[in-house]
Amino acid sequence: MAEVSSFAEIDAYSRVPLLVLLVSAAVWLFIGSAFAFIASLKFHMPGFLADCSFLTYGRVRPAFTNSFLYGFCVQGGLGVAIWLFIRLGRNCIVQPGLLTLGASLWNLGLTAGVIGILSGDSTGFETLEIPGYASLMLFVAYAVIGVLGLLSLHQRVERGLYVSLWFIVAAVFWFPWIYSTAQLLLLKFPVRGVTQAVIAWWYANNLQMVWLGLVGLGLAFYFAPKLANRQLPSHYLAMFAFWTLILFATWGGIPNSAPVPAWLPALSTAGTVLLLIPIIAVSLSFWPVLGKLGPDASTPLRFIRVGVLLFVLAELLQVVSSLLPVSQVTDLTWFVPGRSLLFSYGFFAMILFGAIYSIMPTLFAGERLCPHLARAHYWLALGGIVLGLLPLTFGGIIQGLQIRHAGVPFMDVVKTQLMVIRISTLGDLCFLAGHGVFLVNVVALVQRFYKAKAATVFADATAEIKPVELRP
Amino acid sequence: MSADSNTQVMDRSLPQEENGPVPVWLIILGFILVYVGLVYFDEYGGWFHEQVYAPYRSYEQVLTWQPMPAGDDLTPLGKLVYNKPTCVTCHQADGNGTPGQFPPLASSDWVNEAEPGRLIRIVLNGLTGPITVNGKSFNSTMVPWKDQLSDKDVAAVITYVRQNKAWGNKAGAVKPEQVAKIRAALKDRAQAFTPDELLKISPAE
Amino acid sequence: MNYGPLIFLAAFFALATSWFGMVLTPHAQVGHLQPTNTVPDGLTYPVGRAGLARQGLDVYRANGCEYCHSQQVRQTGMVCDVLLTDAGTNQPAVIQKLLKLVPEASEASLKEKLASLPQPIKEHIGRSEAEALVKALAVGDVKAELWVVPVGPDISRGWGRRRTVAEDFLYDYPYMPGSQRVGPDLADVGARLPDVSWQLRHLYAPTVDVKGSPMPPYRYLFAKQKSEHGGSPEALTNLGDHAPPTGYEIVPRAEAKALVAYLLSLRANEALFDAPFTVPSAPATNAAPGTATNAAPVTATNAPAPAK
Repeated sequence: MAEVSSFAEIDAYSRVPLLVLLVSAAVWLFIGSAFAFIASLKFHMPGFLADCSFLTYGRVRPAFTNSFLYGFCVQGGLGVAIWLFIRLGRNCIVQPGLLTLGASLWNLGLTAGVIGILSGDSTGFETLEIPGYASLMLFVAYAVIGVLGLLSLHQRVERGLYVSLWFIVAAVFWFPWIYSTAQLLLLKFPVRGVTQAVIAWWYANNLQMVWLGLVGLGLAFYFAPKLANRQLPSHYLAMFAFWTLILFATWGGIPNSAPVPAWLPALSTAGTVLLLIPIIAVSLSFWPVLGKLGPDASTPLRFIRVGVLLFVLAELLQVVSSLLPVSQVTDLTWFVPGRSLLFSYGFFAMILFGAIYSIMPTLFAGERLCPHLARAHYWLALGGIVLGLLPLTFGGIIQGLQIRHAGVPFMDVVKTQLMVIRISTLGDLCFLAGHGVFLVNVVALVQRFYKAKAATVFADATAEIKPVELRP
Repeated sequence: MSADSNTQVMDRSLPQEENGPVPVWLIILGFILVYVGLVYFDEYGGWFHEQVYAPYRSYEQVLTWQPMPAGDDLTPLGKLVYNKPTCVTCHQADGNGTPGQFPPLASSDWVNEAEPGRLIRIVLNGLTGPITVNGKSFNSTMVPWKDQLSDKDVAAVITYVRQNKAWGNKAGAVKPEQVAKIRAALKDRAQAFTPDELLKISPAE
Repeated sequence: MNYGPLIFLAAFFALATSWFGMVLTPHAQVGHLQPTNTVPDGLTYPVGRAGLARQGLDVYRANGCEYCHSQQVRQTGMVCDVLLTDAGTNQPAVIQKLLKLVPEASEASLKEKLASLPQPIKEHIGRSEAEALVKALAVGDVKAELWVVPVGPDISRGWGRRRTVAEDFLYDYPYMPGSQRVGPDLADVGARLPDVSWQLRHLYAPTVDVKGSPMPPYRYLFAKQKSEHGGSPEALTNLGDHAPPTGYEIVPRAEAKALVAYLLSLRANEALFDAPFTVPSAPATNAAPGTATNAAPVTATNAPAPAK
């Protein structure tokens, strides 16, 4: 695509593949929340759906994490990332039809994968549960999407690289490396014994902390200044955050409790503690932009603000919990998934919500999202975080402290945890409602747009044929 | 820009950034944290040894905490003494020594003699001068260990070396009483032995 | 000069260093781990899981047991116990010496101990103190032993006698360490709960044996059938409220049997070089009932029973 005269043309040309990516992401988010809610209910009614092997807790839980991570986070992240490429590069997507195909293949693979997990084909490695036949589809789809996205970036008209693009391009290249390593060394040519766990933890850390961190920060560095109408304080500080993040964040992930030689968790801890540097750099970058917002901040901006705040909080929790004395309390408790979700949901998903709410009206020119539904979603998401994720994190600390005292019978520990999970189930309900609202909002917008378009086309097709004046 | 504050349409200009510097204190903090990380790894990392698991900090510590069987088997104690590091520094973990300097203990003719008398004298008083082991010549000095190791330790380490099947040694064990006897006999001797002297003494003494 | 490729390479290496450190190096080291020997007997460890247990590992994976159960026993420190194994011929002198060395013991309790040797004299003390105590005691024909005892909250709960190490899972695929303890740790469950019928009952209806357990009932791993010919020997018993109506019985399917075989094969109680402890050859010591001992073998009856 050569010269482009306006953003409207770019958006129109790129609409379909981005539509598939973003709307599918919203659908998977809702499906994932439904799985999470079912899983949560099972703690209070262990017999709930227990006779259906498809819906046993041990299968519904990984179905949730995979739907959320791959269906919403990675797919949605890619969608917004490609939009960012073409918006900053001022050019069109290369081969939108092929990109749509790639996105569809991703969804097909994920569907096959989740059904596989529910039928007992889970691989057994956390965050990598999708069986081999489906993960291959995911890998090919990612390759298609990634290559086309990078080609679009390569053909950009505006040659300067805004800082967001550094983050996102690094992430786009990193995923195939970690995914192929994990798939090859765990599924195709399995390594021996605990090495499997080491590689699985390395992959999980690189997906959830590094990939989501890079893409999320990349989006935040674009949307926060844009929506708040302020400038980032320093290009160099943002680049400093980039380099220190990719240098140190990839080392984390090995818990101190692991049955591996001591040097592995020690290396992980040393790397994780060094994350303080990018955390501080990010805080310094965003404070002038998001620090003093008025009460009339738009909903997308509110999402971004919460996202950046929870980035700092979740990363700090990770730094602290990697230290040996602290990890002796927090390892193997609810703190681990709580903190992990605080990062992947509280930070990344919130940023992604803000981004999607911002770009949907531009992709579907002339339509608006319903602001009331958007605001409702915001409060439900916040409620979900406060009721769902924070209790898990604190509850995990309490659980850890109780387990450390052998005098506390294990059933007492379980009873305390059930009280915490009761609150967390309310949070999961908030999430489910919020994501339902989000899905309805997005789908309604798309439907209105195409209905209007269809109406125009219909009107054109059924208009009276005007007689054409013949020229003598 | 749209007036709708909740779902505004994006401004179409490229984002601008100011050009503030990276704070120097952040970079300094980075270096401090790198140092802290290195110290942490040095303390808790076990230096990449695959048999060191937390809470053990080093291979030597794991050796120290091996349960010593109550019976007469001195091999675990001998392994600990060997690796403390006392012998391992020169004779190496695989018992092969260093060519020209420190003779091997693995499959060594000196080690596998029927009686351990010469070995006990070497460990107690040290050795100097050229020695021929397995047909090869080595020339260095071995320090005496009689002040650092007890009879039990000496007996244990020599037993460990003599009975180390992985090294190809198949000789008999050594009892602390044998060491005590030789130590008493050598009580007035301070200097190290030379190989020629040792070859004149029968190992059975 | 075009910095693009240079920057790309720099970023790639920054990201990929972790691949070298966390994937390649562990694979070169732990990935080529060989079976080791137990200490002190020198038996090969680990022995691969039997066929049925290996199938049970698959059932464990397919049903996602790892999302509630971990298989990682942790250790926070090492202490020593000093045991007296032989009081020799002059018992009163030994008692006098013990009273001096262990002031808090009473003469009566010491006399009792000497009647049923071997007995611990002092437990959970530091290394140097223990060595000094052994040296002071083991004079003449009095024999004392120093026992190495790993300590930690998991060990105190009876979830294992030592920490889990890489060799414990050498032959497992997939290895599922778990990251949650909604339920107790399972690394040593084969030693702690070796009763097959208890395990089957727990899978069918967890609340029968563990009141208030949030574990879901895995009824689909079992089959309800009419009891014929006096009932199948495999039928579950003592099901309480969950018992089938009269004339019917619950029998485990192949998956349930395999899963239980796998659970019973989970043990982490052999002493290894990387996780040393003194394996008691004597019967259980006389530690006061109710306290969790680390040196005593864990039997089904005196286990602190974390699941109950």
